[in-house]
Amino acid sequence: MLNPFDRYALQKAIELKRNNNAKITCVTMGPPPAVEVLIDAFDYGADYGVLLTDKRLAASDTLATSYALHMVARHLGEFDIIFTGLQTTDGDTAQVGPQIAERLGIPQITYCEELEVVNKKIKARRVVEGGCQIMEAGMPALITVANSATPLGHKKFADVAEVKEFLRHPDERQKRIKTVNLDDINADPKRIGLVGSPTVVGKTWKIGEIGGSCVMFQGESLQREVEELMEHLEQDEREIGEIINVQR
Amino acid sequence: MSSAKNVTVIAEQLQGDLQNISFELLGAARTLAEKLEVGVNAFLIGNNITNMAEKLIHGGADEVFVVDEPELEEYATLPYRRAALTILEHLDEAPPIILMGATTIGRDIAPRIAAYLKTGLTADCTELDIGDYHHKGKADPTKTGEYKDVLYAIRPSFGESLKARILGPWKNPQMATARVGVMEKLPVDPTRKGKITSVKTAFKPEDFRVKVIETIRDLSTSINLTEAKVIISGGFGMGGPEGFELLEDLASIFKDSVVGASRRAVDAGWISYPHQVGQTGKTVRPNLYIAVGISGAIQHRVGMSNAKTIIAVNKDPDAPIFRFADYGIVGDVGEVVPVLKQAFLEKFKQQKTASGV
Repeated sequence: MLNPFDRYALQKAIELKRNNNAKITCVTMGPPPAVEVLIDAFDYGADYGVLLTDKRLAASDTLATSYALHMVARHLGEFDIIFTGLQTTDGDTAQVGPQIAERLGIPQITYCEELEVVNKKIKARRVVEGGCQIMEAGMPALITVANSATPLGHKKFADVAEVKEFLRHPDERQKRIKTVNLDDINADPKRIGLVGSPTVVGKTWKIGEIGGSCVMFQGESLQREVEELMEHLEQDEREIGEIINVQR
Repeated sequence: MSSAKNVTVIAEQLQGDLQNISFELLGAARTLAEKLEVGVNAFLIGNNITNMAEKLIHGGADEVFVVDEPELEEYATLPYRRAALTILEHLDEAPPIILMGATTIGRDIAPRIAAYLKTGLTADCTELDIGDYHHKGKADPTKTGEYKDVLYAIRPSFGESLKARILGPWKNPQMATARVGVMEKLPVDPTRKGKITSVKTAFKPEDFRVKVIETIRDLSTSINLTEAKVIISGGFGMGGPEGFELLEDLASIFKDSVVGASRRAVDAGWISYPHQVGQTGKTVRPNLYIAVGISGAIQHRVGMSNAKTIIAVNKDPDAPIFRFADYGIVGDVGEVVPVLKQAFLEKFKQQKTASGV
């Protein structure tokens, strides 16, 4: 499945493509069925896809993942902008993007909400604590796109139909989708997977239910339910101290 | 003993103000340092900030390394990266542990520093500890062994709603970012003494490939979720931006109150990102948290479950939020919120009468 945060990255890439006559290559890393992610990206308007798949990649942490992905970028040659999502929904580390930038020696703009390219310069707005920053950068650069960069576009019928069509032709499909392994991209197997990861997951715990006893107010008039809620809150305030501050 | 062995905190300052997270990190670092029987270092990076070094000492640092340069007036990735790396090179060995905040700054720069040093970084930790670790691995026999006094970086992992302990005992520094509002600060001690060391940085032209044209920041009126006593949060069940006007209206009757939101509401564009509570937003601990139209996904829950009292309003009686809220009202948010507001106003009136004001 396409990581929901990556949809925002793809969306920004598609906007740029429209305004600048650019081409989009989507890169993903995963087992062979992950090719579906690329097809999903084609449906939205991406042009080419690369799937990095290799059993040796299993258990890669963020540092190892960024190594593998930056080797794909090197393998592909010149580029103007690398877009990544802000983070994944499960690992949620937000690390891989900046680590790819570090390894490629290029600047980054993280938490980007808006951007345009004018005269080969990137103008971007990024979110910071308590506000935003307007940035200007040359290319190449890496951009991580914030989820507040709305709205997302929909798949276009014509795009989806076109993708369906080219998938039917093996040679066309091969032109658009490349599958590579670590040897193809000259990656050092010692720097990926378990061996190349400086961190491991030790113990894990299930996050248990908190509190556990929710007092529900239902089945009466709303007025009465809220009155009961207030009575409970007053009782709590007597027991555990202030909950509600006095009125402004 | 060389101070390079100290647990290290990279402090955060904005426009010359040390951010809360800096003191939270110092509190966490102190606990780790005591277990390791070492001290605490802080890195302070910016322009005209040397005078703040003392505050870090009062907050728990033993030595503060300062890079104070005009190029560092406003945060930018590459110059701040250069400054941090310069301090690290200035030390005779890598510190055992480096902590940073899981803020837009920490999450921007920490991964680059870790990638440069080719070391491990655990993001968004909610607990930090020191302990031993025994590693046994077929794929990497060279890593097998007993490791003493390792950083336990503990963070929620949402694929399976787990808390996971992440370890990286093979290489120092072991790096981690900590969520804002989670670690405990130490009481400020103005009598604490420490050392302040100034470090000169030689910037390179490529450090300025990204220009900050303008920073629009209003810290005075910016919404302060982490300090709020009452938070009224809305989710996808609000149905649109107008739903949040309803919540603003309810929030307006409380002191120290602010409107929060779930990620889905922010994703939908109904309210801006700084309002977001949860895994990818802020961690909050108000006295009262009213969750309106929020289903209560684990990602939201970890950001707000430390609230003293949680009231949930949702039209779906099976919404997960009712499994951990203190009080639940099943109903249409548009109907419930105005009734709640009236009830609170009534309560305030009674309190005033009772106290004779």
